[in-house]
Amino acid sequence: MSATALETREAVEAHAPGMISNVLTLAWRELRDALRARSFLLYSLAFLALGLGVSYVSAASTGSLGLSGFGRTTAGLINIVLLVVPLMALSTGAGAIAGDRERGMLLFLLAQPVSRLEVVLGKYLGLAGALVACITLGLGACSLVLALQGGATEPRTMLWLAGLSILLALSMLSVGVLVSALARRASVAVGTGVFLWLALVFVSDLGIMAGTLAMRLPVKSLFLATLCNPLQAFKMWALHSIDASIDVLGPAGLYAMDTYHDALPWMFGASLIGWIVVPLLLAVVVFSKRSPV
Amino acid sequence: MNATRSILATASRLGVIGACMVGFGSLRLAPALAQDTMPPPSEGPGVRDAAGVALNAGVIGRLINAAKPGDTILVPAGAYREHIRVDRPLSLIAQGRVVIDGMGSGDIVEIAAPNVTFRGFIVRDTGIDLDKENAAIRVLADHAVIENNTLEDILFGIDLKQAPDAIVRGNFIGGKDLDIARRGDGLRLWRSDRALVERNTIHDGRDAILWYSQNVTVRNNTSRRCRYGFHLMYSDDVLIENNELTHNSVGVYLMYSKGVALRGNRLLANRGPSGYGIGLKETDQFSITDNLIAGNRAGVYLDGSPFTNLKPGDISHNTIACNDVGLTFLPSVKGNVIAANNFVDNIEQVCVSGRGELTGNEFAAKDRGNFWTDYAGYDADRDGIGDFAHESVTLFENLLDREPKLRLLLFSPAQQAIEFVGRAIPAIRPEPKFFDPAPLTSPVRVATNSSPAPSRLALAISGLGLASVSSLVYLASRAFSLTIRRKGTVA
Repeated sequence: MSATALETREAVEAHAPGMISNVLTLAWRELRDALRARSFLLYSLAFLALGLGVSYVSAASTGSLGLSGFGRTTAGLINIVLLVVPLMALSTGAGAIAGDRERGMLLFLLAQPVSRLEVVLGKYLGLAGALVACITLGLGACSLVLALQGGATEPRTMLWLAGLSILLALSMLSVGVLVSALARRASVAVGTGVFLWLALVFVSDLGIMAGTLAMRLPVKSLFLATLCNPLQAFKMWALHSIDASIDVLGPAGLYAMDTYHDALPWMFGASLIGWIVVPLLLAVVVFSKRSPV
Repeated sequence: MNATRSILATASRLGVIGACMVGFGSLRLAPALAQDTMPPPSEGPGVRDAAGVALNAGVIGRLINAAKPGDTILVPAGAYREHIRVDRPLSLIAQGRVVIDGMGSGDIVEIAAPNVTFRGFIVRDTGIDLDKENAAIRVLADHAVIENNTLEDILFGIDLKQAPDAIVRGNFIGGKDLDIARRGDGLRLWRSDRALVERNTIHDGRDAILWYSQNVTVRNNTSRRCRYGFHLMYSDDVLIENNELTHNSVGVYLMYSKGVALRGNRLLANRGPSGYGIGLKETDQFSITDNLIAGNRAGVYLDGSPFTNLKPGDISHNTIACNDVGLTFLPSVKGNVIAANNFVDNIEQVCVSGRGELTGNEFAAKDRGNFWTDYAGYDADRDGIGDFAHESVTLFENLLDREPKLRLLLFSPAQQAIEFVGRAIPAIRPEPKFFDPAPLTSPVRVATNSSPAPSRLALAISGLGLASVSSLVYLASRAFSLTIRRKGTVA
């Protein structure tokens, strides 16, 4: 049995057997393991490098003009977040349970006085903490670079972007954990996670585009279909928070502004929170019914 | 009594005002000012305007009736509820805070004689009758000077009708709180040549519009939350200079005019339903130089301009930045020379509405093109001009130009995927939209001052804040390991 497992048992015994403390203990372990994992370090570095690159290049091009506003900097950062954060969260989540199951760790864990709900929540919280660390580090470094470069970006923009990226990460982590609960092997889980990432990042948008062009999809359906994708909900919310409007998104954006007014942020929020809560609940249900091996 | 004394002081300062008038004024004014009101205008005798509102029935009206051409009338501070018509050449100058209240009916001041000066008044509350075009100040004669007035709660503000050689300066014009379709024009010139419009502020109106007025100069004005900041209809040889036009539906809309110069204006955040910084419709021989055009839905919109081939349309030395679309062309537009501009971070730099190319337009003059933030080439010989032409070949933008709804998917990775496919597969590679043979590698200096940049310190602090969250998480995880280890040793 690994050192981690021993530590976990001791930690579980040392604390009061309440649910919250169980969850927290599991979360701490998960957080520490995640921060030590090589894959996670790789994702963090990739996110950091891409974000810094975008910030550096775009600030270098516009800094001298001192123009603020919604520009390529923000667009570029949104783009990076849309690419990297879901991949990171999905693959991290996908490894969460399936990996432990494969290593026999799960059997041991469930032999402890913890419920399956606590295990899922603990893992979720721990991984969420690791993702938060990664996102805040990346965007924090980007803000610093932008500030040094002449800073035509509002601080508010970066804070909103960080907060919304965390929400996006949480939703994708939920999906990842669900995949992990379903899969028998870690490799299958991670593969499925990557496939889902591809589907959410590219396939669904391309499908919507093709549908709009081929079937003359009306604006309303276009907007609602797009809203269902958590990545697009994140993107629209980010734009809305920066500009107080998504009219930058053309006729469909204008339609949404005119039709839903103040309800728009709530709609984006509902979409993202839905993607956090529903897969996580499903993961708990599935995990509770499956054997730990 | 205070009011009487002020009248007498006025009179002694100005010998031009007849003694009879002073007597008249001081006798009638004093009680009226004490009450701060006047008898309702309908009781007054004499002239009525088209709507049946009595004119010159109040205090100022009687002063006018009593004055001789060329007199100067200093109107003492107070509130006057009346509608006046200036029917002889006079100077009306407000002494202190003079409010002329139209009480929500008709026009308020009508200037029917040449060489009238009207300065320093507060004119408020016109009617809201769009058919009658209720205006705060209507000028029907030449050489009027309308200066430093505040017009508030008005349908039309200053309406020059066949009033050439007027000066409209330093007025503050605020519209009524009405739906845009029911508002009037803050400023209107109708067949009023050689007018000078400067240092006015116009807000919440419909348009500031010039109809059939030649050789007008419009400078240093501010316009916000109107429909069109400035709107030219069939008005030639107009200079529009150093104005700041923000948050209107359209900043400047030029229609069917020629010889118009737009210079040094700041056109920001004009995002109404049309949402152009500058719109040009069948306008000829224009020049657009040294403007800052930023944050609009479309920076410059060109429709049938230039209208003839007498002179190419000149769009140079502008900064066109952070607009949804930098330049929008209708497909038939040709004959523009677009050079030495900064195209900075527009989401789409140039758009051909519908489909088409811009082969009829030049994107460089004298071997110098524009500065494009999306230029991907380099400058090996360091002459300030990129070694490769800048051409816009983007499949996704082509899709957008054809199906604007798809802008909803802007900024998503799918966009890059499509761009990549468009570049990689020649069969679906779109034709270049435009071609800049000599893109500049550093921005051009533009004469307008740029907007204040947001605080770098605040940005740095938020960056540090974000980064510290991540270090907290990391430290927390370390602390946990230590706790476990300590607990372990105790056990």
